[in-house]
Amino acid sequence: MKKIESELLIFYETAHAELASALEMLAASKLTDSPKQVFGYFMHAKDEYNHARSFFKMLSMRGKRASIETARNYRFTSPSLITKGYISDKGFLIDTMKLKDFIAFVYTNELLAKSSFENILTLVGNTTEEGKRISDIMRDELRHHGMAKKHFLNHYPALQPWQLMLYRTRETISNKGRKIYDANLKFLDRLLTPLYRAMAYIAGTIAKKLNLNEFKRDGKNLMNIPTNSIL
Amino acid sequence: MFIGVTGYNHESSAALVDKNGVLVDFYREESLSRIKGDKSFPKRSIKKLLDTNKIRIKDIERVAFYERPLSAFLHIIKEASMHMPKSLPLLTHQFRNFNRSSVSCYLDFAKFFKGLESKLIYSDHHLSHTLTALPYSNSKKDICSVVIDGFGDRSTASISQVVDPTEINELWECPYPVSLGLFYSSITDYLGFAINEGEYKVMGLASFGDSNSKSAKLVRGLMDWDTTSNKIISDMSFFDYHLSTSNSFSSKLEELLGPARNPFVQLIQGDSDFQRCADIARGAQDLTIYLLGKIFTHAHKITNSRRFLFSGGVSMNSASIDSLAQLPFVDEIIIPPSPGDSGCAIGAAFYCYIKSNYYSDLKISKPSLFPSRKEVRNDEYLTEQIISNEFSVLERDEYDAFLNAAELIKAGEVIGTVLSCSETGPRALGNRSLICDAKNKEAVKNLNTVIKNRSPYRPTAPAMKYEIAQKYYKLRPEISECYKSMGATCKCLENNLSLDFPTTHVDGTARIQIVENNSSLDKLLSILQPMGIDILANSSLNVSGDPTCFDLVDGLMVCSRTKLRYLLTDLGLLKRKT
Ligand SMILES: [Fe+2]
Ligand SMILES: [Fe+2]
Ligand SMILES: [Fe+2]
Repeated sequence: MKKIESELLIFYETAHAELASALEMLAASKLTDSPKQVFGYFMHAKDEYNHARSFFKMLSMRGKRASIETARNYRFTSPSLITKGYISDKGFLIDTMKLKDFIAFVYTNELLAKSSFENILTLVGNTTEEGKRISDIMRDELRHHGMAKKHFLNHYPALQPWQLMLYRTRETISNKGRKIYDANLKFLDRLLTPLYRAMAYIAGTIAKKLNLNEFKRDGKNLMNIPTNSIL
Repeated sequence: MFIGVTGYNHESSAALVDKNGVLVDFYREESLSRIKGDKSFPKRSIKKLLDTNKIRIKDIERVAFYERPLSAFLHIIKEASMHMPKSLPLLTHQFRNFNRSSVSCYLDFAKFFKGLESKLIYSDHHLSHTLTALPYSNSKKDICSVVIDGFGDRSTASISQVVDPTEINELWECPYPVSLGLFYSSITDYLGFAINEGEYKVMGLASFGDSNSKSAKLVRGLMDWDTTSNKIISDMSFFDYHLSTSNSFSSKLEELLGPARNPFVQLIQGDSDFQRCADIARGAQDLTIYLLGKIFTHAHKITNSRRFLFSGGVSMNSASIDSLAQLPFVDEIIIPPSPGDSGCAIGAAFYCYIKSNYYSDLKISKPSLFPSRKEVRNDEYLTEQIISNEFSVLERDEYDAFLNAAELIKAGEVIGTVLSCSETGPRALGNRSLICDAKNKEAVKNLNTVIKNRSPYRPTAPAMKYEIAQKYYKLRPEISECYKSMGATCKCLENNLSLDFPTTHVDGTARIQIVENNSSLDKLLSILQPMGIDILANSSLNVSGDPTCFDLVDGLMVCSRTKLRYLLTDLGLLKRKT
C-alpha cells in the first residue's frame, strides 16, 4: 500500500506539471503575434496535453488499486493547478515574464522535465508499456528543448549558446532551491501546525459566542442594505 | 459602465452592464484560463472586459462583488466552532487562508486594477442570484425569487418577493449548514464523482435507479420538510462538509449506505455495484424533487405569486424542473442560462446599475444567450499557420460553409462549431458545440464515445425548432424559456417515435434545446430540415475535464487532440488533415 501511495503522489504531481505546461503553451500561443510562433506554441501545447493525458492514465491505473480513502486524496480537480502553485495566481508566465526570459525558461525546463522523467522510467521499468510511453515523452521534451534553443538563437542572434547555458544553470539552481524551499515549508508547516491549531482553538472558542442573528434579513428589503458593508 | 464580479469560493467571472441596463459582455474565468472551475480572482475576465470594450478604469462607475465576504467567512467559522475539536482542521484552514478568501477581494482589485477598489460595493449572495435571473423575465415586477444553492453568504436557500428591482424583500431562508445543494454534492462525492462537476452524472444515473429500493429510501430519509415550522430539517451527523476540508460525508453515511466509491473506478452499467449506486442517486433525486416542491409551495403561500425566478446551483438540476412546472399554482418559471455562481457576476453588475439609477427610470434589457463580445483578434492571420499545416479549408463563404456542414451532418459526420460569440452558461447552445444528426444512432454514439468520452448515464441533448419539439415531446408552457438554454428536461410523448431516439434517456426524457431564432443552430436547421434532418444532437465542444472551448485556437486544439474532423468556424468550414 505504501508503494502505491508514493507512486500515486508522483503521477499526481507529474500530471499537474504536464497539464500546467500545456496551459502555459496554449496561453503563449494565444498571446504571441506571429503566426509562426502561434503554430509552434500550439503544437507544443498539444504535446503537453498528450503527456498530461498519459500521466493521468497512469495515475488512474494506480488509483483503482488503492484503498478508497487513499484514492480520494489523489483525485484531480483543475483548480489545484493554481493552489498547488503549478500555475501562478499572478497569471501565466507569458503574461508576467519578458519574452526572452520566457523562451529561456522553456529551454531549460524542458531539459529538467526530461531528467525528472528518467526517475519515473526507473520506477515503471524500461520495457513496460508505460515505460515505452515515458520514453516517447522524454523524446518529445528533448525535441521541445531543441526547438526552444533554435527559437532563442533565431530571436536573439547576438546571444551566444553560453548565455543560454547561464540561463540553464540559473534555472537549475532555482529549481533545486524551489525543492529545498518546498521541503522547508513542509517542515515548518509540521512544526507550526500545533501552534495554528491552538490559535484556531482559541479563535473558535471566541467564534462560538458570535451572535449571527444580526445577519438575519427576514422581511428586509435586500436592495436597502448598505452597499459598502462586507457583513 | 458597471462591472459585477464573482470568485474565490466558486467559479469566478466578470460581467459588464452599460448605463442603459444592457448586459454588454460577460466572461467566465475558466474560459480564459482554461482551468475548469477556476475560482481565482477573475483578473483575466476583467481585463478582457476592459480591453474588448475599449474602456478604462475611469469609465467604470461602480464594481460589485457578488457576496458579503466577511459574512460568508463568519458563518462557516461559527458553525465549525460548535464542533471542536473535530472541526479544528477546518478552522485552522479557514484562518490560515483568510487572506486568500473573498475577504481579500478589495486588495486584489487594488493589486490588479488600481483605482477599481475605490468603486467596490457588495451585494448579498442570494440577491446576486435573483438579479441574475430577473433580467431574463419579461416583466421585472411582482415575481417571486427562489434561490437554492450550496451555501451563499448566510443561507443555503431563500425566498424573496421582487416588488420591483429596487424592492426585493426576503421572506424565508434556510440557514447554513442545512443545505440541499451540499447534500447533493455530498452524494456526488460519495458516488466517486467530483463535486461541482459530477452532479449532472448523479442526475443522469438516478434514471437507472428504483425509488422503492432500500438504498433510495434511506437517502430519501436524510432530509425532510417540517410542516409546522416550514423548515428543511436534516440529520447533520451523516455529513461532514461543515466540519472538514476534505470530507463532505461522514463515516455514518457509509455505515448507512455501504462504502463510498473509488473515484478512479469507472461506474459502468452491468457492474456489480451499479444498481446500488443508481438507487442512491435515485434517492437523492427524489429527495431533491420533494424538497423543491415543498419550497415552491411555501413560496407561493407567502408571496401569493404564480410566477417564479429560480436560480442557484440546485436550479441546474434540470430533471426536477418538469415536476415543478406541474405544481397547480405555477404559471411561469424563469431559470437564467447561467444559474450557478459564475452567472452571479451578471446579477452583481445589475445591482450596480440599479443602485446608481435608483430614482430614475430603470431599463433592464433581456440579455442575449450569447453575451460575450466577439473576438477582436485577427484570427485569420494569427492562425494561418496552424490551419495551413493541420487543416484544409473546405469552404470560406459563410452560407456555403453552413450548406457544406449540413451535407456532412446528413452523411453522418460529427461537426464542431466555433461561431460568433460564446454562450453565457455551462451549456453549449450551438456556438461552441459538437453536433450531429440526433436520429442517427451511429453518429450520436461516435460523438459520445469516440470524440467526447462522455459519461454514459446522460444522453446528449437534442436541439430543434419549437414546432418540431411539439411533435415529439410533452412541452410545458410554464417553463418554455428554460428549454432555450437546456434548463429543463421533458418527457417524450406517449407511443412517440422520440422514445427511440439515441438522445432519449432510459426514463423516456430528454434535455431538449429549443433553438433561438437566427442563432447558428437555427440557421443550420433551416438548411437541414428540407434534407430530412430536424433534430441535432448537441454537446459542448471540449475534451472531457476541460472547460468548453472559448476561441478559435481552443477549437482547433480540440480537433487536434481528438478524432473530430470537421470544424465550422467564422473563417469557414475546416477539415483536419490525416
Ligand atoms: Fe511534457
Ligand atoms: Fe515539453
Ligand atoms: Fe450561490
